[in-house]
Amino acid sequence: MTVRRRIPLWLRGVPWLALLVLAVVGICAIGGDDILPADPNQLNLADAFRPPFWAANGSVGNPLGTDNLGRDILSRILAGSRISVIVAAYAIVFSGGIGALAGLVAGYFGGVVDAVLMRLIEIQQSIPSIALALIIAAALEPGLSTVIFVIVLTYWAWYARIIRGEVMTLKGRDYIAFARVAGVGTPTILMRHLLPNIFNTLIVLATLQVGQVILFEASLSFLGLGIQQPDISWGLMLADARQYITNAWWAITMPGIAIMLTCLSANVFGDWLRDRLDPRLRQL
Amino acid sequence: MLLQVDQLRMYLHLRRGVLRAVDGISLHVNEAETLGLVGESGSGKTMTGLAMLRLLPRDAGRIESGSIALDGRDLTTLTETEMVREIRGRRIAMIMQDPMTSLNPVFSVGDQVGAPLRYHDIARGAVLRSSVIDVLRRVRLPSPEQRLGDYPHQFSGGQRQRIVTAMAIGCTPRLLIADEPTTALDVTIQVQIIALLKRIQQDAGLGIVLITHDLGVAASLCHRIAVMYAGQIVETAPVRAIYRSPAHPYTQALLAAIPRLYATAKRLTAIPGQPPSLIDPPAGCRFAARCPHRMARCTEPPPMVDLGDGHSAACWKLAA
Amino acid sequence: MLEVDAVTKHYRTRRGTVRAVEGVSFTVPKRGTLALVGESGCGKTTIAKMVLLLEIPTAGVIRFEGQDIATMARPALRSYRRRVQAVFQDPYASLNPRLRVGRIIAEPILAHERPGRTALDKRIAEVLDIVGLPAAAARLYPHEFSGGQRQRIAIARALAPRPELMVLDEPVSALDVSIRAQVLNLLQDIQAEYGLTYLIIAHDLALVQHFSSAVAVIYLGRVAEAGPTGPVFADPRHPYTQALLAAVPLPDPDHVLSEAAAAGEIASALSPPSGCSFHPRCPHAFAPCSVDVPPPYRLAADHVAACHLLKEALP
Repeated sequence: MTVRRRIPLWLRGVPWLALLVLAVVGICAIGGDDILPADPNQLNLADAFRPPFWAANGSVGNPLGTDNLGRDILSRILAGSRISVIVAAYAIVFSGGIGALAGLVAGYFGGVVDAVLMRLIEIQQSIPSIALALIIAAALEPGLSTVIFVIVLTYWAWYARIIRGEVMTLKGRDYIAFARVAGVGTPTILMRHLLPNIFNTLIVLATLQVGQVILFEASLSFLGLGIQQPDISWGLMLADARQYITNAWWAITMPGIAIMLTCLSANVFGDWLRDRLDPRLRQL
Repeated sequence: MLLQVDQLRMYLHLRRGVLRAVDGISLHVNEAETLGLVGESGSGKTMTGLAMLRLLPRDAGRIESGSIALDGRDLTTLTETEMVREIRGRRIAMIMQDPMTSLNPVFSVGDQVGAPLRYHDIARGAVLRSSVIDVLRRVRLPSPEQRLGDYPHQFSGGQRQRIVTAMAIGCTPRLLIADEPTTALDVTIQVQIIALLKRIQQDAGLGIVLITHDLGVAASLCHRIAVMYAGQIVETAPVRAIYRSPAHPYTQALLAAIPRLYATAKRLTAIPGQPPSLIDPPAGCRFAARCPHRMARCTEPPPMVDLGDGHSAACWKLAA
Repeated sequence: MLEVDAVTKHYRTRRGTVRAVEGVSFTVPKRGTLALVGESGCGKTTIAKMVLLLEIPTAGVIRFEGQDIATMARPALRSYRRRVQAVFQDPYASLNPRLRVGRIIAEPILAHERPGRTALDKRIAEVLDIVGLPAAAARLYPHEFSGGQRQRIAIARALAPRPELMVLDEPVSALDVSIRAQVLNLLQDIQAEYGLTYLIIAHDLALVQHFSSAVAVIYLGRVAEAGPTGPVFADPRHPYTQALLAAVPLPDPDHVLSEAAAAGEIASALSPPSGCSFHPRCPHAFAPCSVDVPPPYRLAADHVAACHLLKEALP
């Protein structure tokens, strides 16, 4: 009980494990190839299909084993995190930005603007995202920018809908009414009053979306619509390893675990952040 | 004596500390009598009502000490199952402030009023239906037979409060706890509900604990009043004594602070300051910081002084 | 100073037309306090919103110092927005939780002027002092204050641009009884000090009698009775006013409340009763009441009541 009291209030309940995983992913993304234990692209056919270090025939040099071309899986996983982070960052910033702006405008002004936006959202959400991805990938070249484009197109509507709801609730608040009574201009009301109050929601949405984006990118790359060789992506690793699943279970399982761990950590962190950012909880 | 509460202490164990919501309350209610529990927000009056039914926030709320005796039986010693089967809804009923949220919007009114009767095995089938109609008639809900299948949103606020009252009195409880039953209602509807409560009390010999902050409503319904401040009772008296000769400085200040119809005073006497925190309350009299009659002795907890005729107040000024 | 002339507001909804306000007229004298009294759904909040230009009347005119506020040119409109301010009911929802108190108070000033940093800070400190809060409060956030203190901040905010008319929407209903007196006294003090005019919306009749010089009783969108507080409360002529006053529970155990004064439920503004909207509940209703809408009969210079009973009584 005494230990609990010594930890400052804002540090309590922090999901350390989740943050650790996210930090590792983040460092690998920034760090470049030099920090990896081995060269992720180094072919070594003699060493192909080496199992993880705890199994028979495994070695500590390749802790998670090697794939069909003898490349170190651990290094490939860590290198693949780069793609995940880049995609997540761009996708979230753009889809969040566009979605929030649309939601803000639609929620505050209502009327025709809102009607138009809602129809757009409904249209967008009735198209299956994979079908959309296929169409776009066929039109453009598969690659990083295509993946980001597809994700933004898929997810902006989700943000817009939620932010619109928030704004519609906030719009009726007395302090907004007061601002209008006092003669404050509409742009100022949107920037000063509405935006800061939806900011928390936006941050939480963004954090929760990290997991979804990573999964989506993995799916796209798995289907061959996203990242192409020789770039490394977890989805690609899954696709490549699928055919060898019977004799090299680790080649597909390890990247799969990486995806799962990252999504889980992002979700746990997002949940914690949501609880923390509620202003009423700050007082406790 | 229908209900006797003795030195009840109920604390809420929160992250930021222990909140002493109810700190040594003693009160009693007789049959066919209404006791008013009057106080402002944070005084502990709602918590006292909930504590009497042991409806406390599950993890945080705990009855630390004291007893609650209903017809001589100590409720603090009962198990949760016994409370549910025998006491809640059956011997003690409660109606709350907001009739909009007291009723479940997806169940019909007939279902909801009948539910306590069904649960406590008072009536079944056809007898149940006629009992429900009967109790709705008692609360003067117009055309009850036709409205059994209607849903809460089809009724007005005043009618909803009548329905909630019907749910409460259906099992002929011994005691009714009414927590701000008229606060959310318009004043012309409030009159009707006050009259309703008076009538059902007379018909059934029901004891009522009326929790309110409105001194006017308290005056019109209560036989006796207990004034609460910062988790404690500061004065208890028959209703006339409270309004004619209030003894505790807080009661006096409260009466001086309210605007009165037909009164001539042009300025209200405000009470300076704020109520104290219940997490770390002052050691002595909790009203001392705001009291115009504050003395040196007030740093010690004042004794409850018996002024005779059922009138008592906790103040050093009276102890001399 | 403020003249509301036969103002009407209808809302068209899927279920029909909601007649929120019908032909309401009253005047708010300069430096006086007019209270709009009524029960829920009577339209008093809608009237306040129209005065604040948050809603536009369907018919009728609202004049501020003789000028129709709905047709004012831009500069006059800006001036109106500075001279008319509002204080709302809920101290927990009327302040932006993400802004510091200083910025909250500065808002109405900044909407109209561009004072320098020091001048602005000085004005904020001044107005905080008037409402009894320390200057240091400007750097804190709303959640660090109690309900009563937040309402003071809201008052400071309304006072900051040096208004002439303040619309107070149930300013103390959400506060504790002992805090209400503090805030009411404060409002009275600043009215006297700065020559303010108040339009207050309230449902507490004792408060209204104490606080205002004139009152307009509204029932289902129409004025039932209006006049100086003294005569209206001492000798109410409209049955609804009588019912309202009879229904107020006095803090006096020997006072008897009469249930008969206003039986039944408040009707809906979607389908108001024909003729006088109070007639289904009125103990004195007779033939014309269900047919014709009673016009406001003049009882004295500024005391009117819209009741057919008065037709016989007056010449």
